Amino acid sequence: MISDEQQDQATLYVLGLLEPHEAAAFESELNANAELRDIARELREAAGSIALTAPLRTPPASLKQRIMGEIAKTTKDRTIVPLRRPSFDWVPWAIAAGLAVFCGLLAVDRVRLERQLANIRTVDPLMHTTFYTLAPSAPAPADAKATVAWQPGSQSGVIRISNLPAPEPGKDYQLWAVDAEHKDPISAGVVRVDKNGVAQIRFKPVEKAEHVKAFAISLEREGGVPKKEGPILLVGTA
Amino acid sequence: MADVTATAQQMADREMIARVGDGDQSAFGALYDRLSGPLYSLALKMLGDPSDAQDALQEVFVQIWSRAGTYNPEKSSVFSWAVLLTRSRAIDRLRARDRRQRVVAGSTPDEAKVAETTNASMVESAADTAEKSDEAARVRYVLNNLPSEQRQAIDLAFFGHLTHHEIAAQLGQPLGTVKARIRRGLLRLREQLRT
Repeated sequence: MISDEQQDQATLYVLGLLEPHEAAAFESELNANAELRDIARELREAAGSIALTAPLRTPPASLKQRIMGEIAKTTKDRTIVPLRRPSFDWVPWAIAAGLAVFCGLLAVDRVRLERQLANIRTVDPLMHTTFYTLAPSAPAPADAKATVAWQPGSQSGVIRISNLPAPEPGKDYQLWAVDAEHKDPISAGVVRVDKNGVAQIRFKPVEKAEHVKAFAISLEREGGVPKKEGPILLVGTA
Repeated sequence: MADVTATAQQMADREMIARVGDGDQSAFGALYDRLSGPLYSLALKMLGDPSDAQDALQEVFVQIWSRAGTYNPEKSSVFSWAVLLTRSRAIDRLRARDRRQRVVAGSTPDEAKVAETTNASMVESAADTAEKSDEAARVRYVLNNLPSEQRQAIDLAFFGHLTHHEIAAQLGQPLGTVKARIRRGLLRLREQLRT
């Protein structure tokens, strides 16, 4: 069953009215929900048909020639073979040799820098940390916010939430990692706020998340769910 | 589901876009003939300037040529895909225009310029025009029978280049109400067009 809220998000998504982070979160929801995909398709078709209400005009014939010319050019550009100039045959080889030496120097330098970076990382844990700022989306209060400090190496993080009122009885907030390698968001556990709407919690996703694009908080059944069901209240990228 | 509901025209469009994806220029020419009228009309209504609309249309068709391979029939028909690409290009141009602080034409076309250009170029086969006019008349009929507040919200969301927050501000309505009006209107439109 698709809620009105999900349909609203689908409408805004189809019309390109969502913010980039909202669109990313909605796309992960779409991937996981066939019914929602059907709704989005229906909405796209409805939006497409509205174009027919514009007074019908025909573009000038010269425009087709212009466009056909441009695509012919891009096709030709793709297949062009560079002309050889025999008298300068040595030039590419000289450039290649120079580049090879340069690349060698860069490689040596890179190894040196990587060693330095590794040394710094051993003494400064913040070097391993990526920060995500989560912004509210309806029905969360406009001043609700959260920050996630995520350490991919240890697959753990800390979330701090503020201004998020406690959910109604029988419900819980649940944290999700949206990972590029996973079709569905990965649960990172239930998060409970205090009476002031504040929480600071350590978490660890239930599956390995190596390419986290975003974190999101949704409203779920009490105790949490294995796969996201409820509306997203906060979402954000790094 | 998409396969079951696809019309003959949609199937033909899919066939054409598949050939365009393979680099078939004659299929691209045929697709241009089929889509350029409605897409140009949309660009012109949004931009209000024939020259700007032609440039936008050129960008759209070059994009169709280069991205035909990524078209996904599960997401939309070729027509709706192309319409939403056109709308997106037109919005980019309107925003660039805003940034340059030129006179904003909004969604009202400059009728004088439109007439000047189109008088010379309104050449279409009678059958094609009739078919498009039938479809357009049907969409107009359904839209006109929507509650006026839904029609107004859809019109601003689709042809304007306003965010949903701006639409809410312009209509003096809460954001949630505006979202619901657009959603209800679009779903009703779709439902009516399918019957």
